[in-house]
Amino acid sequence: MIQRLLPFLTLAALFVGLCIASPHFLTSTNLSSVVRQTAVINIMALGMTIIIIAGGIDLSVGSILAMGGLLGTMAMEKGMPIPVGVAVGIFTGMFCGLTNGLLTTKLRINPFIVTLGTLGIVRGLALIISNGLPVHQIPAGFSFLGEGNLLQVPFVLWILLVCAVAMHVILEHTSLGRYAFAIGSNPEAALYAGINVGFYTTAVYTIGGMLTGLSGMIEASRLMTGQPTAGQGYELQAIAAVVIGGGSLRGGEGSVMGTLVGAFIMGLLANGSDLLGISPYLQQAIIGAVIILAVAFDELRKRRMI
Amino acid sequence: MLMELRGIEKRFGGITALRDGNLQVDAGQVHLLMGENGAGKSTLMKIVAGLYERDGGEMVWKGQPVHLRRPAEASAIGIAMVHQESLLAPHLSVAENIFLGREPRVAPGFVDRRKMAAQAARLIEEHHFPLQSDWRVEKLSPAGKQLVEICRAIQNGSSLLIFDEPTSSLSEGESQEVFRIVRTLRDRQMGVIYITHRLDELRSVGDVVTVLRDGQTVHSGAMAELSREQLIQHMVGREVSSIYRREPVEAGEELLGVKHVSRSPLLQDISFQLRAGEIVGMAGLVGAGRTELCRTLFGLDAMDNGQVMVAGKAVRLRSPRDAVAAGIALIPEDRQQAGLARQLSVMHNMTIANLAAVSRFGFLRSAAEGRVAAEYMHRLRIKAESGRQLAGRLSGGNQQKVVIAKWLVRGARVFLFDEPTRGIDVGAKVEVFETMDRLARAGAAILMVSSELAELLQVADRILVMRQGRLTGELSGAATQEQIMQLAAHESPGRPFAGAEGILS
Repeated sequence: MIQRLLPFLTLAALFVGLCIASPHFLTSTNLSSVVRQTAVINIMALGMTIIIIAGGIDLSVGSILAMGGLLGTMAMEKGMPIPVGVAVGIFTGMFCGLTNGLLTTKLRINPFIVTLGTLGIVRGLALIISNGLPVHQIPAGFSFLGEGNLLQVPFVLWILLVCAVAMHVILEHTSLGRYAFAIGSNPEAALYAGINVGFYTTAVYTIGGMLTGLSGMIEASRLMTGQPTAGQGYELQAIAAVVIGGGSLRGGEGSVMGTLVGAFIMGLLANGSDLLGISPYLQQAIIGAVIILAVAFDELRKRRMI
Repeated sequence: MLMELRGIEKRFGGITALRDGNLQVDAGQVHLLMGENGAGKSTLMKIVAGLYERDGGEMVWKGQPVHLRRPAEASAIGIAMVHQESLLAPHLSVAENIFLGREPRVAPGFVDRRKMAAQAARLIEEHHFPLQSDWRVEKLSPAGKQLVEICRAIQNGSSLLIFDEPTSSLSEGESQEVFRIVRTLRDRQMGVIYITHRLDELRSVGDVVTVLRDGQTVHSGAMAELSREQLIQHMVGREVSSIYRREPVEAGEELLGVKHVSRSPLLQDISFQLRAGEIVGMAGLVGAGRTELCRTLFGLDAMDNGQVMVAGKAVRLRSPRDAVAAGIALIPEDRQQAGLARQLSVMHNMTIANLAAVSRFGFLRSAAEGRVAAEYMHRLRIKAESGRQLAGRLSGGNQQKVVIAKWLVRGARVFLFDEPTRGIDVGAKVEVFETMDRLARAGAAILMVSSELAELLQVADRILVMRQGRLTGELSGAATQEQIMQLAAHESPGRPFAGAEGILS
């Protein structure tokens, strides 16, 4: 039980620790900046949650994020209204996820390899399309998505909330979610139960891609550019959020609540490092260490259960 | 006295697996170690083989007290174990597996491959195993892998050999071959400990028997002095009627019609029917095509030819989805692998094949799921703390019932049971039979594939026999084991194994 609560306790301890360590931490500016920083990773991680629950993995999310943000901002540059641009970004992510899903299920290639491949392909395509240059001609109103407030709360927090609730409902209250757990827990048993494993696996990657596309638009809005090089290394953070929150890379385990906590732990680690003047290079190493620690605790817990 | 164990104790976390394990083995003796699943047999033997370290008690080896901490230490003093689950490297050859960790060397670090292959070939020939030293182990059937394990154990020149349920994955003929090997080893003055919970195979092999129950040695003595009933009583701790007899019911309409089904080269022109209320047995040697038939009827493998009718209607079986939709259910041999999602709860396992029944407007209703779980836990007498318990935590017999419940929730009427009693305790077997009987009485048609001839005769209304992909005959439930074996065995007499095609999976 203590191990299950460990992510929550860690988050609480980090919060309290930072309150004491830095006078700048508990200010509304800083907290809303943490929320905005974390939201991008958080929404991506929600998609990664259902993928990992279904026994898969998506290493290409960083590239998909860049591609979504790029095409979305390019659409706006060409004069399309903001909502259409955002839709383009989301749709792009969805299409990339669908591709990942189809490659995994139709060609029966390990998702690790498929998404390692698309990580390169999508990034390469983004650089070709943009000629390596960022998109700057974006309508000013677009910044509301990433930087605006609604009812004095960052708009991204509302988006995150809606996504989190939707993902929770999918996972716990729909057959898609149940099948994701079943496929991740034992793909053969799922097949034997008459589940269309290929279809649902593809659906899971598609949903993941969709959420990544959305994060791409938020990232673009925060920077007010469409960067073909955006999102590099984000897959590490998204996977870390899921794993810290109790998701198992063997499939069949994971939850929205856990992922949210995991993402915020990493958000606070990054923010805390900034406030305390720890080098961003060291931050990378810290995130890596936290992932290993989280998995080690989880393994220990499972071994003790046997 | 080769080895003596006194008061061996072993705990895993808070669970005591062994509290008082006692056993004495002499050289030139086959010692049977019996007990239900979880009685501590494997744990005790893993302590002897150095896989676990004991927490208490004494072990005396050839007059010297020993304390083994690693398998290498056990191996060094001459103790070897043939494991139930294959502990082989699948991508290596038979010879490489036999000599794994003790390869003959040309120079330090360099393996003498030619010598290794020659030694392996000699060993295989000496025992007339249907193996070749250069075959890759992944291509072997469970029976073939078992033989490699045995080769590995005996080439080491051990003086005590432990077999952990060697015949649980073998057919009748292959089991006989294992017994022959065991007797040869005994004649060479080796000590043999043989873990088993199959009662019928024992008389022919065992000299002495030790029975474990709840981590304690409850009986030890000469095999000849014990009746079958006494043995069961020691194992279970209460009296159990060892002879289960099913009362046949009047068979109803035809539920499954299989017509000229072929899948080259494993299945050739198979035709039979199952009627409502029937339990039909399916006997045959390993490799005869029984599991392949189940897979084909469940849509996992495509058929080249033939037709399948369910309740009078022709169905196309391109995937398990088609089979499930038609009302066919498969309870696979390997429940853990193919039947059950271990990390899902009992309740979620039960409803997974028919979520529509517990959904409204596309959303799952947990109240409805809870009712389904409660109903089937009651109907099938599933022992679980609650519907929310993880399915992987249940005992083998209860896991199987969860799989059956899943199909009942789905409304299946044709049940294909592949080796339903594999790995299940003596006491729980009767319960499996009763469950099957209840299914049949409720109007289901059941095909029961089993290598346990005695069980087929106890349960089945009629028995189909397969040999090399063909149906070779049908017998009534009153047939004898000899009649079945005659239909199942190969024409060429004196060859106990199915040959290469039976060993290669």
